[in-house]
Amino acid sequence: MKIIVDRTKCSSIGLCEATAPDIFEIGADGALQILLDDIPETRRVDLEQACENCPTQALSIEG
Amino acid sequence: MTTAAPLRAERPYDPADISSTEFWAGTAEDREKVFAELRANRPISWHRPVHNGMFEDPNDQGFWAVVRHADLVEVTRRPGDFLSGKGITFESLPLEVLDAAQGFIAMDPPRHTKIRRLMAAAFTPKQLARIDDHIVANARRIVDGIADKGRADFVTEVAALVPMHNICDMVGIPEEHRRTIAYESQFADGWRDPRLLQGAEPMARVFQTVTTIHAIAHELIDARRSKPENDLMTALVQAEVDGERLTDDDIASIFALLIIAGNDTTRQSTSHGMKALTDFPDQRAWLMEDLDGRLPVAIEEIIRWATPIMTFRRTAAHDTELGGHQITEGDKVIMFYSSANMDTEVFDHPEQLNLSRSPNKHVAFGGGGIHHCLGAQLARRQLNATFRELLTRLPDIHTVGEPELGNGNFFHTVMSMNVEFTPEAKASAEKR
Repeated sequence: MKIIVDRTKCSSIGLCEATAPDIFEIGADGALQILLDDIPETRRVDLEQACENCPTQALSIEG
Repeated sequence: MTTAAPLRAERPYDPADISSTEFWAGTAEDREKVFAELRANRPISWHRPVHNGMFEDPNDQGFWAVVRHADLVEVTRRPGDFLSGKGITFESLPLEVLDAAQGFIAMDPPRHTKIRRLMAAAFTPKQLARIDDHIVANARRIVDGIADKGRADFVTEVAALVPMHNICDMVGIPEEHRRTIAYESQFADGWRDPRLLQGAEPMARVFQTVTTIHAIAHELIDARRSKPENDLMTALVQAEVDGERLTDDDIASIFALLIIAGNDTTRQSTSHGMKALTDFPDQRAWLMEDLDGRLPVAIEEIIRWATPIMTFRRTAAHDTELGGHQITEGDKVIMFYSSANMDTEVFDHPEQLNLSRSPNKHVAFGGGGIHHCLGAQLARRQLNATFRELLTRLPDIHTVGEPELGNGNFFHTVMSMNVEFTPEAKASAEKR
């Protein structure tokens, strides 16, 4: 699976990082970084949670 | 189905009183009785304007009260319908005060998005983990300050100092300004409190606060421009939004927000937490069985219990609907966080402190919208460090008598609260 970030919506609020800190990280420049290119299927629940929690609906799952 | 909306001026007011000065001068327990009735019977209700003798707005006809957890979360997640830019408090504060002191909390997208992103990097979980040693050292030095005394005013000697030092360290405020900053930040909500005003006229006192905070901000802006440091003030003077530098007034407003939000929230959570640990000895005993392991979960319950910010306002951007009610453009919509955090639809026995509560879906940090608390991780780490230090070194610390409470409708203020404990020197001598 991949995570797609809509950069026009993302406000770097960081709730995704609170859900899965090994996948999401707000970088030193304040922009969201996705730390894993290809995310294993076992993490689907975490990803769905992160997408749902996002206050700006900036995240979606591909695959 | 929605009913036809009566004009704002003709809408009948709900019989429950949540607008009077007396209501807000009482205790959280008394207020909860009213909120419980509203949650059960009239979850979205229209009320007469808050009355406080100041900032009276002749055009203010009332507000919608949102008291259920689910409805509050919905409002925070509809920033296009419910705006922050018209103000975030009950009162219609003068525009000068809004502009000068509420920074990006009283902004809407797209500008909110850009400013918020600027600040984000300094407050992420990983960044806070990096400065945790610092937060722990601040907690240690504050407990050092009372450890031999046996008694203290918990608010001024502990609860106010923890966030003061930490937010000042992050922003880059030197020692000589810290007491002033922490003292002035109280007037954001304390302007209606004669104990704080000490004879001053409220409006004049608020402007004095704004002037004082801005003078310090401008001094620091100049200092960081000529000599950058590794702090938030430097980040702000160097930042660009849409290719333009922030103006000095923009920076001063963000500065004011950071110090008010940074000081007046964790201060209240620390105080209410200390009181709760005194009032619920069984819960405290459970916590002490494995302090390090259980503290992170317990802190969430302490934050729910404290709910340091009791209300936030939004303003309807256009005619819209909420929970079956027709909301008219320009209507004030007030979210009652203290009520949502006691909602039995979400919390089992919310009236009982349950330090092992998990999951704990409290909304004390916002409710999941774009204005979700920037300092949530900072608050958690500070509370963790403070209670670990207190409960380890002063294990019998407890409150004495009833705390003196504030009378505002925004911060859940504890003005002063006495604590007693066996002095550390004496306790360690006895052990020997």
